Amino acid sequence: MNTLQGQISNIEVNGSLALITTKVNGIPFTAIVIETPETASYLKLGNTIKVLFKETEVIIATGDVSGISLQNRITGTIIQLEKGTLLSKITLGTTVGNITSVITTNAVEQLGIETNTSVTAMIKTNEILLSQ
Amino acid sequence: MIQLSLHKQLHTAKGTISLDIELALEPGQFVTLYGESGAGKTSTLRMLAGLLSPDHGKIKVNENVWLDTDAKINRKPQKRKIGFVFQDYALFPNMTVRENLEYALTKNQDTDIIDELIAIVALGELQYQKPDRLSGGQQQRVALARALVQRPEILLLDEPLSALDTKMRIALQDYILKLHKQYNLTTILVSHNIGEILKLSDTVYILENGSITKSGTPTAIFTSHQMSAKFRFTGEVIAIQPEDVVYMVTVLIGTNVVKIIAQESEIQDLTIGDTVVVASKAFNPVIQKVL
Repeated sequence: MNTLQGQISNIEVNGSLALITTKVNGIPFTAIVIETPETASYLKLGNTIKVLFKETEVIIATGDVSGISLQNRITGTIIQLEKGTLLSKITLGTTVGNITSVITTNAVEQLGIETNTSVTAMIKTNEILLSQ
Repeated sequence: MIQLSLHKQLHTAKGTISLDIELALEPGQFVTLYGESGAGKTSTLRMLAGLLSPDHGKIKVNENVWLDTDAKINRKPQKRKIGFVFQDYALFPNMTVRENLEYALTKNQDTDIIDELIAIVALGELQYQKPDRLSGGQQQRVALARALVQRPEILLLDEPLSALDTKMRIALQDYILKLHKQYNLTTILVSHNIGEILKLSDTVYILENGSITKSGTPTAIFTSHQMSAKFRFTGEVIAIQPEDVVYMVTVLIGTNVVKIIAQESEIQDLTIGDTVVVASKAFNPVIQKVL
């Protein structure tokens, strides 16, 4: 699990759902959750919380990523690439710390990425977990 | 309201401990006492049942005083409305299932309760069998039903399911919940099985060396932090195996086996038999009606 720590900078509530923005070292991460400040005491502006997402949910892109719906994106450089038969593990160095992504080895080859390549890591808003 | 204030010097395998329990339970609650062996869990149940006398204490159940050492009040076990189930079924071997239940009837008690209980714990077909013809789970169902014949207000369960295999344990948990609700019981369970505690209880009290050191909902006590994951289960790790650059962890949740892909860093402190929380966001699972 990728675990980052940040401060809640925005909370938008509608019914039982809330869209929470957490700033991690200045980079915003948004998460949609079935919790509101009323049901979860840790959802308070300015509170320090953990932003969690699974390695297998981290999308890797090279080049221009302007026309993509994913809200959570961070650029980084590949510092380690472990290629398996079907799956590969990529460790990215970013301004929020290291982020790990597991994607198919086919995808790694298609993108032509290797150590030191600059890439953008993206995570869907509904894949981000928040925790105290 | 059930109020307990119990104090006693206990001589355990680890030496003498001073038991000091202060508890207030709402009627209808399902609570668990959790702690190491010798922490005072069983002694607390036995004192509530009147099988062990505290050095000093008071037990008040609704408006009735069961025990008040200062006022020299100490109701006998049969005068306390309590059902008690132990790990050992303690059935009479020479009596049938039905006779075991009937033996628990008080004088002039309406016998309808016997048929009612036999129906709830699904022992209809076995009611004329002797206990030695029954499986462990079936025997424990008889013991459970027998504990409720006198319509107690409080049900005490001292590790009732620890001798059973997983499948039977799960089935018995369902019977316990059903009985707890149907008879509006206040149930106090002693258990070491975290999955079981999460499934059954509203509140957990942690006992250490005779004192309650922590209490709260099972989720708050047994999971280290609050998390925005709504698809969450507790299970037991049964296998960990490497798959390519990741690991596959097999977890038994109830009677279902599920598999989770994990990273090396996540499996480092995991061993077979560990209790784990498996969680995902509510957005991920798909739902399909079973025809």
